[in-house]
Amino acid sequence: MGLSADFLGRDVVSARDFKRDQYDEILRAVEDLEKNNTSLDGALKGKLAALLFFEPSTRTYSSFQIAAEKLGMAVSGFAGPTGSSITKGETLHDTVRMFEGYGADVFVIRHSKMGAARFAAEISDVPVVSAGDGSREHPTQAMVDLYAIRKAFGKIDGLKVGMLGDLRYGRTSSSLAYALSNFDVEITFIAPEALQMRPEVSHLLMQRGVTPKTAVALKDVAGSLDVLYVTRIQKERIPDPTEYEKVKGMYEVNLEALRDAKPSLKVMHPLPRMDELSTDIDETNYAQYFVQAAGGLPLRMVLLNLILGGVR
Amino acid sequence: MSKADGERMLVSRIEEGTVIDHIPDWRADTVSRVLRLDKLAKMQADISVVILQNVSSKGLGRKDIIKIDRWHVDERDADILCLVFPGITVNFIDDGEVSKYTPRVPDTIEGRLRCPELNCISNTEREPVITRFATLKKESMLQCQYCDALLGFDKVPDHVRT
Repeated sequence: MGLSADFLGRDVVSARDFKRDQYDEILRAVEDLEKNNTSLDGALKGKLAALLFFEPSTRTYSSFQIAAEKLGMAVSGFAGPTGSSITKGETLHDTVRMFEGYGADVFVIRHSKMGAARFAAEISDVPVVSAGDGSREHPTQAMVDLYAIRKAFGKIDGLKVGMLGDLRYGRTSSSLAYALSNFDVEITFIAPEALQMRPEVSHLLMQRGVTPKTAVALKDVAGSLDVLYVTRIQKERIPDPTEYEKVKGMYEVNLEALRDAKPSLKVMHPLPRMDELSTDIDETNYAQYFVQAAGGLPLRMVLLNLILGGVR
Repeated sequence: MSKADGERMLVSRIEEGTVIDHIPDWRADTVSRVLRLDKLAKMQADISVVILQNVSSKGLGRKDIIKIDRWHVDERDADILCLVFPGITVNFIDDGEVSKYTPRVPDTIEGRLRCPELNCISNTEREPVITRFATLKKESMLQCQYCDALLGFDKVPDHVRT
């Protein structure tokens, strides 16, 4: 596996910071690892990963933990605020400085505040990988998502991708939109007006020559899509409860909602799911979300290996 | 007494300080807010501030003027002002000599503004974050360098750190 100097010592705080050839390199490396899944075992022996999860997480934390351990790294930190000094009010700043003093070689940080990862990257002398910061971004999830798309279609260029649900507060959809802006794709944001994509995301996309379409209802665009990326609409995000009752049915993806869909459509979801994605999709060819989730581990192994200069 | 003489008499010239001219009429309060003049007066009792509103102007028809006796406005604050009022002029006065400062749109603004996104790390108590915005000149917007939130130039006065 080639090892690019582009990644060495690099922070991963936003999907917008990476270019097409860098995404291609990561995706190729993940593909290689899946073909030879022991090739990176022990590659980062002797290094320490500090996983600082200021917000609770199960799958992202576990996938980073297992990835680091398979790479031979020691792992320290916490999987949520409970039981850590965060409940006593310790700041992100102090926590990063402290773990840096303990010899961390990389930080993986999840935090409820937007921009927390970028701030941590400014404080830290070692690379910082964002595992999600508030409703801003989740860049490694975007890499996982790209990999799942490429795995399904053998390509990303030329596809029509719909993103559905809470796009305003959903960190995975903004990161995926940034990542996709490096490819020749058509993007449609499907959401009620109050939960449409944040202006800064659409703004950057347009700067990069991608003009996203918008739609309010899935039924209006379902037939044209190659990929449907589903996220949950959180009731608490919509100020008027009656408004939520009105819209929630429009964003539940089940076989009935997909009756006009192309047979080749792939439905994706960053998981965990609630009511927005019916289990009646699970056994159909549409379901790509379990394949997507499985990509999280090799992707994170590849990324840590690239950043910390492990196996070539 | 002519009208012009009457307006000239409104305020005598200052020997030391700043004159901010060509403020759109009735907007002097916004300038005062951006410059945090209220805070300044509390800090240094010998500073006098005179605000002239709706003064006749050849170019603007009507305009506001602010004269600050014995204090020089920070050039970085003057630059922030020009995001909101591009036509504003700033004159520094030392020993009666006037030197003109032409405010320019800054590339970045550090520490002066609050992020409009309440959930931004820069709005978090006890985290030692210095806010930083990049200027998107073509779009007349600022962008927070932590959370990426956008802030229109016209909203800048509402986000000055107090």
